[in-house]
Amino acid sequence: MLRFVSREAGRLALGLLGAALLAAAISALAMPHAGDGVFAFLVAWGRTLNDFVHLDFGHSSISGETAMAELAAHLPLTLGLVAEGFAVALIVGIPVGLLFGAGPARRAAAPLIQIVSAAPIFCAGLALAFVSANLLHWPVPVDNGVKTGLALWPHSVTGFETLLLPVLTVGLAGAAAAQLALRRAGSELAGEPWRVQLRRMGLSNWEIEGVYGMPRIFAGLLSSLGEVILALFSAAAVAEWVFNYAGAADLFVKSVALHDWAIAAPVLLSFAGLTLIADFIGRCAAHPMADPGTPP
Amino acid sequence: MTQSGTATARTGAQSLHAVLRVVGWTGLGLIAVAVALSDFLASAPADATGIGPLLAAPSAAFHFGTDILGRDMLSETLHGLSATVRSALPATLVTLVAGALFGFVAARLPRALASPLRGFIGILAAVPALLLAVLVIGLTSRGLAGVAAGLAAAPFAFVRAFGRAREQERATHSEYARATGISAATLLRRDLVYEFTDTILPAAARALAAVSIVLSTVSFLGFGAVPPHRDLGLMIAASKLYFLHAWWTAAFPALALTVLILFARLAAGLGEGERA
Repeated sequence: MLRFVSREAGRLALGLLGAALLAAAISALAMPHAGDGVFAFLVAWGRTLNDFVHLDFGHSSISGETAMAELAAHLPLTLGLVAEGFAVALIVGIPVGLLFGAGPARRAAAPLIQIVSAAPIFCAGLALAFVSANLLHWPVPVDNGVKTGLALWPHSVTGFETLLLPVLTVGLAGAAAAQLALRRAGSELAGEPWRVQLRRMGLSNWEIEGVYGMPRIFAGLLSSLGEVILALFSAAAVAEWVFNYAGAADLFVKSVALHDWAIAAPVLLSFAGLTLIADFIGRCAAHPMADPGTPP
Repeated sequence: MTQSGTATARTGAQSLHAVLRVVGWTGLGLIAVAVALSDFLASAPADATGIGPLLAAPSAAFHFGTDILGRDMLSETLHGLSATVRSALPATLVTLVAGALFGFVAARLPRALASPLRGFIGILAAVPALLLAVLVIGLTSRGLAGVAAGLAAAPFAFVRAFGRAREQERATHSEYARATGISAATLLRRDLVYEFTDTILPAAARALAAVSIVLSTVSFLGFGAVPPHRDLGLMIAASKLYFLHAWWTAAFPALALTVLILFARLAAGLGEGERA
């Protein structure tokens, strides 16, 4: 276990280093004369890396604020959306993954899941907005064009209704990734010979699934944690745009549009870093559950 | 379940997959015909305003209704679908070459080269493809949105192809080939031929589904198609201000986009919920 965690930690450290190098290369574009040739760019990249080491991510060329201040203002909103979306993803994705993982239930649900999977997230977000506005008469901030903050812990019914749409959009994208990970793990386990052996030893199906099957299936979900988090970040990027919320993904899109590279780089670094860390945590947590040498 | 029952169920599932693939390719074929004939099938040229009343609901005269500028939504959806597919095709090629092909070859490079390359692409794969595409467009131009979408979808295809190539490298036929003195380059060439003969069409359909999602989303965010050449993503973005009261302005372009992606997913043989 220790060897596995050490190896994964090494991979994570290299991944984070690579992400920092990439972000520094993007941020270097904001330096004066960085575009004057390869040598000038390399010098700017080196300077930016040095600044990154000292946790100086530069200043926005639009607002004049430090990148850290911009990140501190916008990233919590995205992280909150992702955290709440993650809860929805687990609440929806785990039952769907377990119930529709095999058998007649899977065959019945397959066409619907296939169609839903084909709809891009922004279409799903707009469909949710339409249903909420026209059938439930909830406030939907998609058509006013004004970027707003979002109360992640609403204190009123209206606040809750406003929050629910982006969280549902993000959560359903995460649920798709979670149920896929569960189904993948379930189908990998379906052909394992130890099921038959355990049945011959007199164990009931409940015992086999509960004691031996489930830990391995959930290990499959944990080892795909990076994928689930990536799906949540992707959905948050779209949900912020659709529902006019000023989160980090919205900040990234605006920064790229205005060539404000000092802001775009740390946002990208945060997203990549968080996905890599989630992947690391998931793999390490899944390892003792999935390792055939370890009793479940 | 008995062994014969399991085998029957497996055969049934395989037949269903084969049928769904045929449905997917037939659908893509029909879309290709619609795209090729979009100028003939559409009753109005692209971006022709004032064809009908403003925001008219679907009717016998305008089957898909009209938008805020009186454009015929059926014609606009056909032109938008055509623009999306025409941008998606080169993007698909980019994903196939920079993702699937490069990933397969990279896995057979010397380990000192392959591992850092896999690590670097792994970092790119940890960034949402949408943001990667937006970044590439920001660094280049909106005219290169197709290439950007292809490059953004490539890391995932690279990682998948890299894994498959590594699996094949450990397979029995590779061990026999090495034992009989066949060079690594010859083995790679043979594996590539078999890999691409077997998987080129599903891989292309999968790449088409992935780049269609990325392309339409970057257009929705305003980084893709440049007006007046509107693709489906831009059409949906334009309807954002009034779709709550005029659902048809967003619903039909969204439906066309979903159908395109659905057929591509079916043609690729993707499972329910599987990432393109």
